[in-house]
Amino acid sequence: MLMGREDTTVHTSYFSRPIPLRLILLLALAVHGPLLAMQLPLTNSYDANFHVFFASHYAHHWFDPWNPKWFAGFSQTTYPPLAHQWIALLSYVFGLHMAYLLVQLAGVLLIPVGVYRFAQLWVSERAASYASLFSVFVGAMVFLVYFAGQLPTTLSAPLYLLALPYFYDWSRTSDFRGLLKGVVLVLAAGAVHHVTLIFGSLLFAIPVLWLAVIDRGEERNAVAVLIRAGIFAGLAAAGLGIVLLPYWIQIIRHPIEQMPIPHASRSNLLLNFTYLTNYFFVPYGMLIVAFPFMAWYAAARRRLRPLLLGFWLTLIFGLGGTTPLPKWVLGRSFEILTFERFTLWAALMVMPLVGVLAERAIDRYGRKAVMGFATAALITLLLPMGWMAVTPFSPNANINVDAVDAFLSRDGHDKYRYLTLGFGNALPKVSTYTDANSVDGEYNSARLLPEFTHYGTAQLTSAKYFGTNGMEALRMMLRHASHYGLKYIFIRDPYYEPLISFAGWRKVESYDSGTITVWSKEDVPPARPIPSDAMPTALEGLLWGTLPLASSILAILLALLIPDRARARTEVLLPFPEREMQGALVREVR
Amino acid sequence: MKRVLPLVLAAITVVLIVMAWFESGGVERHVLRSAATPEQATRLMLSQIQTHNFDAAYARLANRNDLDKNTFIHEFTGSYGSLLTISALEGFDVGVLHASDQEATVRARLHYATGVGPLDDTRDLTVQRTGDTWKVVWPVDTTAKLPPQVIPVNYLRWDVISRGSGDDWGAQNVDSPQVRIVSMNAIQRPDSVVVLGEVVNEDSVPAYVNVGATLLGPNDEELAQESSFDKIAHTLLPRQVSPYRIDFPNMRLEKIKNVRMEAKALLIAASADPVIAIDQQKLETDRLGRKVLSGKLTNQSGQIVSIPHVIAAYYDSNGKVIWVSDGYVAQALLPQMPVPFAVDLPPDVAKNVQTYRVIVNHFELTT
Repeated sequence: MLMGREDTTVHTSYFSRPIPLRLILLLALAVHGPLLAMQLPLTNSYDANFHVFFASHYAHHWFDPWNPKWFAGFSQTTYPPLAHQWIALLSYVFGLHMAYLLVQLAGVLLIPVGVYRFAQLWVSERAASYASLFSVFVGAMVFLVYFAGQLPTTLSAPLYLLALPYFYDWSRTSDFRGLLKGVVLVLAAGAVHHVTLIFGSLLFAIPVLWLAVIDRGEERNAVAVLIRAGIFAGLAAAGLGIVLLPYWIQIIRHPIEQMPIPHASRSNLLLNFTYLTNYFFVPYGMLIVAFPFMAWYAAARRRLRPLLLGFWLTLIFGLGGTTPLPKWVLGRSFEILTFERFTLWAALMVMPLVGVLAERAIDRYGRKAVMGFATAALITLLLPMGWMAVTPFSPNANINVDAVDAFLSRDGHDKYRYLTLGFGNALPKVSTYTDANSVDGEYNSARLLPEFTHYGTAQLTSAKYFGTNGMEALRMMLRHASHYGLKYIFIRDPYYEPLISFAGWRKVESYDSGTITVWSKEDVPPARPIPSDAMPTALEGLLWGTLPLASSILAILLALLIPDRARARTEVLLPFPEREMQGALVREVR
Repeated sequence: MKRVLPLVLAAITVVLIVMAWFESGGVERHVLRSAATPEQATRLMLSQIQTHNFDAAYARLANRNDLDKNTFIHEFTGSYGSLLTISALEGFDVGVLHASDQEATVRARLHYATGVGPLDDTRDLTVQRTGDTWKVVWPVDTTAKLPPQVIPVNYLRWDVISRGSGDDWGAQNVDSPQVRIVSMNAIQRPDSVVVLGEVVNEDSVPAYVNVGATLLGPNDEELAQESSFDKIAHTLLPRQVSPYRIDFPNMRLEKIKNVRMEAKALLIAASADPVIAIDQQKLETDRLGRKVLSGKLTNQSGQIVSIPHVIAAYYDSNGKVIWVSDGYVAQALLPQMPVPFAVDLPPDVAKNVQTYRVIVNHFELTT
């Protein structure tokens, strides 16, 4: 027993050593592998089918981003293509669904790696390993992967996390390898997801830059650190300008000026308990309990304050309309964005603090703390899984649409355009496997038809959920049926039948014991191409088909071929145990 | 600094949340709960209905003893497959018409989003003071219920034998029924050009009719193409006439040289049942000051008509169609039970109307 000084015992317990990243990856595979193998995102999420639809287009028309299947034609250059192109590439071997799941698995596995690398900047190796371990259980991640189906968000976030240490290294120590690898990773991440690029990257990068200034040491100038960060940002911006050139052209030519479409994440969550559960309790889970402790701990440490402030700001953004700050900062963009992704970023950003909290708790309370954190992690993981079963928001992604595709594929029915009503998020499923084109679609930012942009509604297949705006948009589209060659309407919700009937369509067939009915209007002429100035040029198609994928391949090659330089941080010094001045009382072995 | 920062962040968060709470009407909702005025009491009840909190809304009624809860709920959610069964109360406007210390009359305009488009319903409600709060007296429907009875049905029905189950509807080896546009009139409205008239089924079999119009410019170029959409009765029995109206928004009459009309007809199976009588038709000014054609619909058959759709044609002194208006009736038509309807028409048109003719289209919701 030691008396009068702190414990300097060399611990050999598992709990006092960093957890190897390999083990964490295995755990991530064990947790998420079966869930992905069950195809949960494809059967249960809002957007997975949408991403499969985009990928399907690339698989068939790699260098032609003009997709005639939705909105009477739209450009896929309105959405960064990298995740979709990887799915398309893998689909040649595995098929679309398996390819989607593999790319999503890559994102799920990159999360702990990215968090580990990011956390190493802020906390000890052991705490970083804990941060990485807990990131496997983050509720926001589970929510976005299995319920929202936001593949690009969940893939680009870890890529940015991987880029941040290089940004730090370059800014602090002019490590050229950091500049090269960091910029290429940012290019790849930007080619996966534009919203993460424009908003998320800033929220992550500013605290890291602040840290680089703090950590610069006396021999380096803060201005030099900032200049190097500017060079990094300039190179990344220039690179993204080139890699995503067709996207910028499209955005400049057709800025998003449509009527705002309501989204629950933009509302004041405190006025609706279901929304509060969906966008706060479920994604954060037990992290909420840890917030005050983490804030208290981080505020007391100079190096952790930037992280605390970055997390707080991201947390506030994730609350959507619960505070006025996002609206003030984002202006009109507030009405376009959805804010659940900010919740993911906030949860990932706070992981280093969770790691250090766990480290201290385990040091103090041993197995009890381990059990406590393990339980909290499990609850955080299971909460969104349970919520998916009881939530009133149902994506309807698992509808069997084979009969619809079969109808469209026979007897020249695909000469006409079609519309689905009441199909929820199964619309992309229909579109993926038919040659027929629809006037509807699921990607709001790509819509240019006035029937959509003049009304605050999302896809027509869910028009009723947008009240009068939704139904007016639907009426307007039906009125212009002859113009668009809109002959066939598939209805899976009797709500729409009166309007369709009064508007001149007649029921012609029904499937699944009448669950799905087909309606036809006989005086509609065959569909003709609708002229659009949004059609990308052949050169844009070529750039779109090569540069984003090339950026990701380059990132992989650099990661494999150029080893990272070991990061030295002067502040972290382990005190050498002093010689014991007072004798320890040791019981003689008998 | 080290202990102040979390407190500062917490304080800023609270301030931001409070600001948003004010901005998004949280305080207003809190005040509304007191129901301290007739307007607040009505707003509170309607906002509870809007969020489907029917128990709370019913609890706020002054005349619960006279009104069954299910009947009250059906006032807003509809019954018998009526239009209200596929609707949601989207908003409302409330204004006090007159008030005393103990009683007030409040006008509530309810805005529904329905499966066929927006629907407005105006109710004048009595609100009574009960202690410190006010409570709404919801009007009780005193219409007598019909006793069980047998209604003999004797009507014509046309069936069509198609080529087989694999055939497309409409791709039949029979001639299309003969339909003819018997009148067409193009008029300029403030924000649109309107093409209207009547179409008749001249054949001896039922026809499914769509009327379309294409506006042609000075060089015969197509300016716009629209169809009659829901402003027509698509199913026409032999010799039946339907008015039609085709709207061309943001169009000027002087730019149009010609109008190309097209009436497409298809043979269909049809039935003369249900027969819907239209009684007590009259042109009047409603309580909101609008010119309306009102009347009562009576379903003379034994089946329920879920969603009736009224289409009215208005004629001038020369017998020319000068306007066509339509409206959906929120209530289902139960056999032998009269249901009021009203369709509005522009005031400038109303003064030229000599006669009018009303037909009723309908849809049966099967679930």
